[in-house]
Amino acid sequence: MTHTLHRTGDLVSLREDFPMLTHVARGFNDKNAGPRLKKIAQTMTKYTNLHFGDCKVGNKYTMNPAEIMEKLTVGCQVVFKDKKSLVACMKELKEIDQGISVVVSGLFDEVFACCQKAGIKPPLIEFALGIHGNRKKLWPPEILDFITMCGHGLVSGNLVKKMVADIKKKKITVAKAAVELAKPCLCGIFNPDRAAKLLQRMVGR
Amino acid sequence: MRIDREKCIGCKLCGDYCPVGAIHYFKDEQNPKKKKGRIDEDECVECGVCLRAEVCKPKAIYRQEIQWPRSVRLAFSDPMVEHKQTGVPGRGTEEMKTNEVTGRFKRGAYGMAVEVGRPGVGARLKDLEKIAMALAKIGVEFEPKNPVTFLFADVKTGQLKPEVLKEKVLSAIIEFEVQRHQLSQVFQAIKDVSGKVQSVFSLDLISFPEEEEKGPALKVVKEMGFPVYPNGKVNLGLGKILNK
Repeated sequence: MTHTLHRTGDLVSLREDFPMLTHVARGFNDKNAGPRLKKIAQTMTKYTNLHFGDCKVGNKYTMNPAEIMEKLTVGCQVVFKDKKSLVACMKELKEIDQGISVVVSGLFDEVFACCQKAGIKPPLIEFALGIHGNRKKLWPPEILDFITMCGHGLVSGNLVKKMVADIKKKKITVAKAAVELAKPCLCGIFNPDRAAKLLQRMVGR
Repeated sequence: MRIDREKCIGCKLCGDYCPVGAIHYFKDEQNPKKKKGRIDEDECVECGVCLRAEVCKPKAIYRQEIQWPRSVRLAFSDPMVEHKQTGVPGRGTEEMKTNEVTGRFKRGAYGMAVEVGRPGVGARLKDLEKIAMALAKIGVEFEPKNPVTFLFADVKTGQLKPEVLKEKVLSAIIEFEVQRHQLSQVFQAIKDVSGKVQSVFSLDLISFPEEEEKGPALKVVKEMGFPVYPNGKVNLGLGKILNK
């Protein structure tokens, strides 16, 4: 499960994009993990309201977040756009000490700096080593930046194109289009704030 | 997934939601002025996005009963479906996410993953087999808890069960551990097989953050001409053993 890895984009855009996940370790801390996951989810969503969800349950754009929290059994995800909130959340997660793993994705230099501020020493990291194979089949880079925000591949490139066309025709606002793109991402790691900025760039505003 | 042609009103709202572009519109035989939606079942990966989008007012989209081997599409494309054998939702394992608790990856070795079909293309499992066989030849051991491992006819050769080869999925992940001395061989094998697959694949490497640990691996990665993204995943190490 590498769903928060492989996000493409330029450094400016990636500097405002930090998915965070929590996940139980089966056989080690998964028994009756619901209340602990709920506590972690409450802490995460205190610091970011961009997205929240779990692929077994649903996300905040399709379900009531309180209902999602009650149903968590394995983990959940959120996404941050700024380091200040991320550091504050990391600090509180460390303090509440629920004993469930937490992983943050983003630019390594930024994430490591946040860890240092939060007094956290990460034990393990994961690198993305590119896209290979028949690259002719890939969506163009400006579309890939959207679809790689959902690691399960549930956000369609055609939907991105449709949203861009609809914004140009003034059928939908940029903010609403960004949320529409976030809906299929069950886990809650698609960043609608970043998507709105990318959409604005694509429609030339 | 299927569209009930009787119920479909040809509004075309669903098509853009399909991540693999499997929804098409054709002239309605009864009323040639109108169009009806149809899902190309050979291309459809059973991710369920069209259904969950809830854009179909007459509720014409439905999930048909799915039997083996088509059920593979569902398991590797719809994250809401938990793999029966592993109990893990999604397409892989806990990999590095819980390593501070499980101790799965040990120093001196590297976790690696090849995710076939990602990003945004999807893949036939024949592509996955080509890569798995190339890796098996150099003696890598596939992660036993990964859902893909249950599709192998022979885990030693990386050969898949023949009936699943034509099945198309959004993505499937080959997970394996590499010893330091195997790194060059593994990257060479990946490089060699890259031109032989029909789809795309994403590659990743799990390592310990200390320079002496990540140094040798990244040196090999760069020497072999693979890119290293400036962004990736960082485990914060907040997990503990809690089960009694």
